[in-house]
Amino acid sequence: MSLAGSMMFLLGVLWIGGGSIWLLAKRRYRFYQIPSFAMDLVGFPVEFAQSVWGRNGVPYALLLPNMVIFGLFTFAPMILNFYVSFTGGSSISLLDRPWVGWSQYAEIFDCESIFEPKSCTNAGFNFWTGMFNTLWFVVIQVPVLCIVALITALVVNKNIKGRGFWRAMFFYPVMLSPVVIANVWNWVLHRKGILNEAIGGSSDALTAMAGMTGFDIIATVLIGVLLMVISERALRAPDMPSLGWTVLFAGFLALITIWANPLSIIEMSGSPLLGLGLAGVLIWIVSNNYRFARFAVIAAGFVAAAMLVSIQFDAVFDFGRHRPVNWLVQPNTGWPFFWLVFVFTWSHMGFYMLILLAGLQAIPADLYEAAKMDATKPGRAFWRITLPLVMPTLTVVLVLSLIRSFQIFDEVYLLTGGGPGRETFMVVQNIYEVAFTSNNPDYGEGAAGSVLMAIVIAVFTFFQLWITRRQSEF
Amino acid sequence: MAEGRLTTFLGRTAGNKDTAERFGIADFLAYGYLLFGVLIILVPVLWTLFSSVKPERAVDSFDTRILPIAQVETEVDGIGPKSEWIYTDDNGNQKRVFKAGPTRRETDVAPIDDPDAVIKVPRTQLTPSEEIRVATENYLDPLLKRNGQDTFTFGIYLFNSVFVTVAATLITLLINAMAAFALSKYRFRGRLTFTILIIATLLIPSSIILVSLFFVVWSFGIFGSLWGVIIPAAATPTGVFLLRQYMLTIPDELLEAARMDAASEWRIFWRIVMPLSLPALSVLAILSVIWRWNDFLWPLIVLISDPAKHTIQLGLTQYAGEFDSDFHYILAMTVVSLIPITLVFVWLQRFITTGIATTGLK
Amino acid sequence: MIHTLELRDIKKSFGDVDVIHGVDLAIEDGEFVVFVGPSGCGKSTLLRLIAGLEDPTSGDIMLKGERVNNTPASERGLSMVFQSYALYPHMTVRQNLSFGLENFRMSRAEIKRRVDGAADLLQIDQLMGRRPGQLSGGQRQRVAIGRAIVREPVVFLFDEPLSNLDAELRLQMRVEISNLHAELGNTMIYVTHDQIEAMTMADRIVVLKGGQIVQVGKPLDLYNNPKNKFVAGFIGAPQMNFLEGQMSGRRLSLGAGLLRDIPMAKDYDGKVTLGIRPEAIGVSLDGEGDMQIKVQNFEQLGSVTYIYGAFDNGERLTVQLAEQIPLERNQVIGVTLPTDKFHIFDGESEDALGLSA
Repeated sequence: MSLAGSMMFLLGVLWIGGGSIWLLAKRRYRFYQIPSFAMDLVGFPVEFAQSVWGRNGVPYALLLPNMVIFGLFTFAPMILNFYVSFTGGSSISLLDRPWVGWSQYAEIFDCESIFEPKSCTNAGFNFWTGMFNTLWFVVIQVPVLCIVALITALVVNKNIKGRGFWRAMFFYPVMLSPVVIANVWNWVLHRKGILNEAIGGSSDALTAMAGMTGFDIIATVLIGVLLMVISERALRAPDMPSLGWTVLFAGFLALITIWANPLSIIEMSGSPLLGLGLAGVLIWIVSNNYRFARFAVIAAGFVAAAMLVSIQFDAVFDFGRHRPVNWLVQPNTGWPFFWLVFVFTWSHMGFYMLILLAGLQAIPADLYEAAKMDATKPGRAFWRITLPLVMPTLTVVLVLSLIRSFQIFDEVYLLTGGGPGRETFMVVQNIYEVAFTSNNPDYGEGAAGSVLMAIVIAVFTFFQLWITRRQSEF
Repeated sequence: MAEGRLTTFLGRTAGNKDTAERFGIADFLAYGYLLFGVLIILVPVLWTLFSSVKPERAVDSFDTRILPIAQVETEVDGIGPKSEWIYTDDNGNQKRVFKAGPTRRETDVAPIDDPDAVIKVPRTQLTPSEEIRVATENYLDPLLKRNGQDTFTFGIYLFNSVFVTVAATLITLLINAMAAFALSKYRFRGRLTFTILIIATLLIPSSIILVSLFFVVWSFGIFGSLWGVIIPAAATPTGVFLLRQYMLTIPDELLEAARMDAASEWRIFWRIVMPLSLPALSVLAILSVIWRWNDFLWPLIVLISDPAKHTIQLGLTQYAGEFDSDFHYILAMTVVSLIPITLVFVWLQRFITTGIATTGLK
Repeated sequence: MIHTLELRDIKKSFGDVDVIHGVDLAIEDGEFVVFVGPSGCGKSTLLRLIAGLEDPTSGDIMLKGERVNNTPASERGLSMVFQSYALYPHMTVRQNLSFGLENFRMSRAEIKRRVDGAADLLQIDQLMGRRPGQLSGGQRQRVAIGRAIVREPVVFLFDEPLSNLDAELRLQMRVEISNLHAELGNTMIYVTHDQIEAMTMADRIVVLKGGQIVQVGKPLDLYNNPKNKFVAGFIGAPQMNFLEGQMSGRRLSLGAGLLRDIPMAKDYDGKVTLGIRPEAIGVSLDGEGDMQIKVQNFEQLGSVTYIYGAFDNGERLTVQLAEQIPLERNQVIGVTLPTDKFHIFDGESEDALGLSA
C-alpha cells in the first residue's frame, strides 16, 4: 500500500471510529439527529479542538486541512524545486538522485549570449527560445487582453439592451476547455477551412468589382461623401466635437491612411501603424477636451481628403488570386503567433471582463451625475473618473493576466505544438518536454528551468505592481 | 421600431445638438462592437457544430456549405450501393445515373433503373445528386464503438471527469470555507501570518512547481490515480479569499446568538455560516467546476499513461492525435465534450456572470 | 445568601483599554434589572460578560452561587435578545426557535411543546413558516424574544432590544416586555441608553458611567435621591436644572441671585450646584416669586407646558407646568423654587450633599 494510502487509512480509522466513540460518549443523540451526528463526525477534529483547547483552538483546527494541502502541494514543492534543480539523473526516487551542483544551470547558460539562443547548447537553446517566445507573448498578450477586456466591460456596462445576454456571450469561451478550443480553431484555421474560404470568397468578389470601369471614381466619391457626413456630425456641436462620431471618423482616417500608404513616398513601410497612431491621437485629443480638439478634427479632415484623392481604389481592391494561408503552420509569417494571441484573448477575455465589470459597477453612479452637472464630457469623465477609480481592479487584472500568460501551455501545445519550427515554443512546454516526455526524463533540468522562470515571473510581477502603484497614487 | 430608428437616422440631415444626441452614435458604436464580438465568439463554435454533423466525405473535402449535404447513395440492383449522379444531356433532360467505370473526360455511366445500359458521357455534364443528411454516425460510431472506433471510451472519460470535478469541488468548498471562516471570524495568534501565506500561494503559478509537485505526488503514491489530480489543487487561495471577503459581511451577532443557543463552533460553521455564504460558495463552486473540468497540463502529466484514467480532455486529445485525418469524428467528439459545460452555462449563465461580477474577485 | 447572579469585582480590558473597572453587583431571583448609562459606559460589555460572550480580565461571575467564569456561554443557562435581533436569516421562524433546543438534543415532542408555547404567548403562531426577511420590525422583535423564551433560561439578557424600532412600536414593546416579565417571573437584565425605558420597566436600575456603577436603586429612589449630579441629570426628562452657587455654613447664594437658608444635614462651605426638577418650580405670570426669568422659548403640549427661560446672568432654567398658560417670548415671569425640592451637589466631587429630612 502506498504511503498516502496507509496514511489515509489510519486517518480514516481514527476519524470515523475514534470520532464516533468520542461523540457518542460526550453527547446523547436522538434518533432524528442522525444527520446532525454525521455532520458532527465530519467536523470531529474541530469539535475535538474546541473541547480540548476551548474556542481559541478552533481556528487552527479549521485552517489545518487547507494549510496541510498548501504546505504539501505548494510550499514543499517550491523548496523541493531548488533541491531537484541541483540533482541529476532520471531517477524518480529523491534519494537516488546524485548531487550535481550548478551544472544544470550551467548547461542552460552555456551560451555565447543568451539573447541568441542559437549560440547555446541544446538545453540552453530550447530554454531560451521558449523564454524569449514567452516574453514576447506576454508583452503583446497582456496589454491586448487588458485593453480588449476593458473596452468590452465599458461597453457592457453601458445602459444597453440585453446586458445579461452580451455579458454571458463574452463569458462563454471561458467555460470551454483548451482542447475544445484548440479543436474548434484548428478546424476554422485549417488551410481549406472556413476562414480561408471566406477571405478567398470576399477577396475574389472585391477584385471582380475593382475590375469594373469607373470603380475608382465611384469609390472615391462614396467614401468622400461618407467622410463629409461623419466629420460634419463630429463638428456639429458648437463647442467640442462629439466623441462617438470622432471615433467613427478616426476609424475611417486609419483605413484611408492604410490604403493611401503615404510612407511609401519616402520608401518606408509602416503606414498601418501610422494610421492607427493618427486615429488614436485624434481620439485621445477629443476625449480629453483639449481646446484645439476642433481644429485637430478639421485638420484631420483635410489630411483625409488629400489622401483620399491620391488613392487608386481599383489597385487597392485588386487582390489578385487568393492563396489560402496555412495559418498555424506556415513558417516566418508571424501568423501562428498572431493566432495564438487571438485565441488566447478569445478564450480568456470574458473572465477579466467580468472582474473589470465588477470594478466599474462599484463606482457610485452619483459621481457621473455630479460630473454631468459640471458639464463634463463623457471622454473626460472616462479619463478623470472611470480610469482612476477602476485602476485597482485593473491592477488585479494586469497581475492575474500576466501570471496566466506566462504559464501559457495548453492552447499553444494543442494548436501549434510549438511550431512551426520553434516559433511558438513556450517555456512551460520546454519544462514539460524536458521532464516528462523524453525517454530519458531530465527532472533536474526541468526544475532548473522552473526556478529561472519563477525568477522572471517574480521580477515582472513586482515591476508591474511598482508601476501601477505609482500611477494610482494621486 | 428598428425601422423607425433607421428612417430618423437617414432623414435627419439638419438639426441642433439635442436631436443629434438622441440618435446616439455612442449606442450605435456600442451595439456594433457587441455584435462583432459575439460573431467572433459564436461563429467558430457554431461552425464546428454544423460541421460535426456532416458526412465524412463533406468534411474531408472541406465543404463550406452550412448544411450537411451528402451525395445520395442508392442500392443498384445486382451491383450494390452506388453514389448517385445527375446527368444532364445536351437537350437539358436530366437522368439519375451512377458511374460504371473510372472518371475520365468521357465517363461510363449507367442509369440507376437500368444498370446494364452503359453510355459514355462528358464529365462536365455530371453533377452529384445531393441530399441533406445529418451524419449521426459521426457521433454514434465512437460512442457505440462501431466501425472500429473503439478507442474513444466516452463513458469512462465522462466518469473520470465528473468524478474529478465533483470530488475536487466538494473538497475545495469544504476546506476553503473552513479556512475562510477561521480567517474572517476569529481573532487568534498568527492570523496575519496565515493570511500572508495564502496571499503568497496566490502568486505562485502552478506551472513553476510542476516538476517537484510530480515528485511529491509520486512519493505519496497517488501518481497515476485520479486523487493525484484532485488533492493537490483542492486548496485554492482564490477560494479562501473570495469566501473570506463574503464571510466578513455576516454579522458577528448571529454567531453570538448561535453560541447562546448552545451551538458548538463546528455547528455554527455548518448551520449558520455555510448557508449564509451560499452566494459566494456557488461562485466558487462554478469556478472550481470550470477549472477542474478544463484542467489539462497536470492531468496530462499524472494520468496520461493509463487510458482508463483519462479525463474527457485527455481522451479527446489522444483521440485527435490518433486519428489525425478523421476530422468528422474529432469534430463530433469535440461537440460531445462541449455539450455538458454549455448546458451548465446556458442553465446558470445569469447566475454565473452576475455572481462572479458582484461577489467580486476584488 | 445565594443570589441568582452575583458579580464580584469584575474588570475587563480590551488590550490597553480598560472598559470595566471593578463592578460588584448582586441580582435576586425574579428581578427586572436595567443597566443604563450613556454610550461607551460599558453596559453592553457587562452584559456580554454575564452572557459568556466575553471573558472578564479579573473578578468572579457567580450564577446561583457557582462560579461560571470558565463555563461557555451555552452552558450558563442564559438567553439573550440582541440589538439587531440576530435572527438566522436562512431559517424559518420555527427553525429559529428550535435551533437552540436541538443543540441541547431535546426530544422532538418537547421542542414542539416549548416552541408552540412561546409562539402562543407572543402571538406569532401564524408567522411560524416565514423567514425573518418577511417579517416587520415588531414581529422580528417578538421572534427574537421567543427564541430567548423557549430556552426557559435562568436569566434573560436584553441588549438594547428596542433601539431599532420606531417610537410607537417601542412604546408598545416596552409594555409587552413588562407584561412578559410579570407573566414569566424570570430574572431579566436589560441594557438600554434610554432612561425612560429604564424608569418604566425596571425593578432596579443600575446606572453606569465610565465602566463603573454609579448608583443602584429602585427607579423612584434614583429619581428622588440621586447620589450625584450625573445620576440626577441622567434620570428624568426634561433634565434637572442646575444652578451654580456658593454655600457658607447653611446659607446658599446662587449666582443667579438667590439667598436662602438650607436645612443641610451638616454645614458646608464652598462651591455647590443646586439641582431642581423642572416640575418642582412654580410660575407667576405677573413676575412675582423668588426670582425672575425671561422666557426664551416655550412648548405648549396641552397637558403640559414647557418654559425655557434664562436668568439675568445667563443661566438657563426649564420649567414644566401641568397646566396651560398664556405666554409670549421675552416675557418676564416670576419663578418660585421650593426649598424642600432642592438637591445640593458638591461643586468639586459632584456628590449629593444631604438635606435634613
